[in-house]
Amino acid sequence: MGGFVKTQKTSAYSKRFQVKFKRRRAGKTDYRARIRLINQDKNKYNTPKYRFVVRFTNKDITAQIISASIAGDMVLASAYSHELPRYGLEVGLTNYAAAYCTGLLLARRVLKIRGLDQEYEGNVEATGEDFSVEPADERRPFRALLDVGLVRTTTGNRVFGALKGALDGGLDIPHSEKRFAGFKKDDKQLDADIHRKYIYGAHVADYMKNLAEEEPEKYQSHFSEYIKKGIEAEDMEALYKKVHAAIRADPSVVKSTKQPPKEHKRYNPKKLTYEQRKASLVERLNQLNSGAADDDDEDDE
Amino acid sequence: MPAGHGLRSRTRDLFARPFRKKGYIPLTTYLRTYKIGDYVDVKVNGAVHKGMPHKFYHGRTGRVWNVTKRAIGVEINKQVNGRIIRKRIHVRVEHVQPSRCTEEFRLRKAKNDQLKVDAKARGEVISTKRQPVGPKPGFMVEGATLETVTPIPYDVVNDLKGGY
Repeated sequence: MGGFVKTQKTSAYSKRFQVKFKRRRAGKTDYRARIRLINQDKNKYNTPKYRFVVRFTNKDITAQIISASIAGDMVLASAYSHELPRYGLEVGLTNYAAAYCTGLLLARRVLKIRGLDQEYEGNVEATGEDFSVEPADERRPFRALLDVGLVRTTTGNRVFGALKGALDGGLDIPHSEKRFAGFKKDDKQLDADIHRKYIYGAHVADYMKNLAEEEPEKYQSHFSEYIKKGIEAEDMEALYKKVHAAIRADPSVVKSTKQPPKEHKRYNPKKLTYEQRKASLVERLNQLNSGAADDDDEDDE
Repeated sequence: MPAGHGLRSRTRDLFARPFRKKGYIPLTTYLRTYKIGDYVDVKVNGAVHKGMPHKFYHGRTGRVWNVTKRAIGVEINKQVNGRIIRKRIHVRVEHVQPSRCTEEFRLRKAKNDQLKVDAKARGEVISTKRQPVGPKPGFMVEGATLETVTPIPYDVVNDLKGGY
């Protein structure tokens, strides 16, 4: 038998242990980046510094414009990819194209809130080229800083899809084209065509075509939702064009009329009371005893 | 070897971070805004090496006279020989805290203004001056029993029992 080492945290260890910040313990916030994003020049006093926050979950994309305050961060506007069905996009809500749509939606929303949407149209026709807003005569464009969170910023990451959507929507976000999908490291240049393909979901469409020919069963299982909605590989570009137009037409927020459920759904088993635990223990012991008795009888025989 | 009188000499404990408060500094230090004329306390944060004031200014309070991108200009009194000089230093915001020295004054001012308004409404004349605490009023001692204490004659033999 190998040595059994008592792993013990002595009280001395616990007394001296310094916990990290709560959000760091949760692994959600990178404070090094956060300090640098939030820090505002002191001689700008209370001018808010907006962050364009993009976060991905397994089934959703969150894009928000947030400014920090001592009381807590204040969200100016937010857009979620689960709002995209309202504009005609029902499937593929976490891909690069959906990220672009979400970023675009957020940008138009913010500009509308600020009254800048007439002045800053942004890039209406998504070409994939690097586009930066030109400052107009009277009011300067809405400036925000990209906050990726803890994502690894590789070329072609969906975060930059959302960034591109926001830029084309008319926000002023300092960026470089190095991380857009389609940037060739060898040429050190952004291939606008490839980027445009990603914005219109052509990479998904190509995969669909490929699967439909080579492995039809996998195509059925993987793209079942697309098939259900009747979306073919050729329809992708037109679909996204319609979604973009719909977003630009009406980016306002629609409050959902769902009532919050009266009873909250339990996600973990309810803790047993002392009596319940004792009762279950008694039961288990009885079962063990009766089981042992049976075994003994069997052994005897 | 001689002692050395460098800039940060004798600051081993002074600039050390407090127990279990090492590492990243909480964000409110960066979010606070300071205006010219505010009173601030200078308290060095050893984790940030830039914009550190000299150890003399640690614990001093002064007025803000300048606000730059990442630092505050603070005017602090320093006694040099026989006179007090108003010294102007620039300190990064991590080493500065808003001072509460005027807090009591401001609250009292607001309260007094309110009292004056109320008094004017009633037509009275009141004085809002602070009065110093006077001598305690006289009082009768309750429940006192008299116990007369007399000295006991010194007994050499018994008292030296404990050893000498």
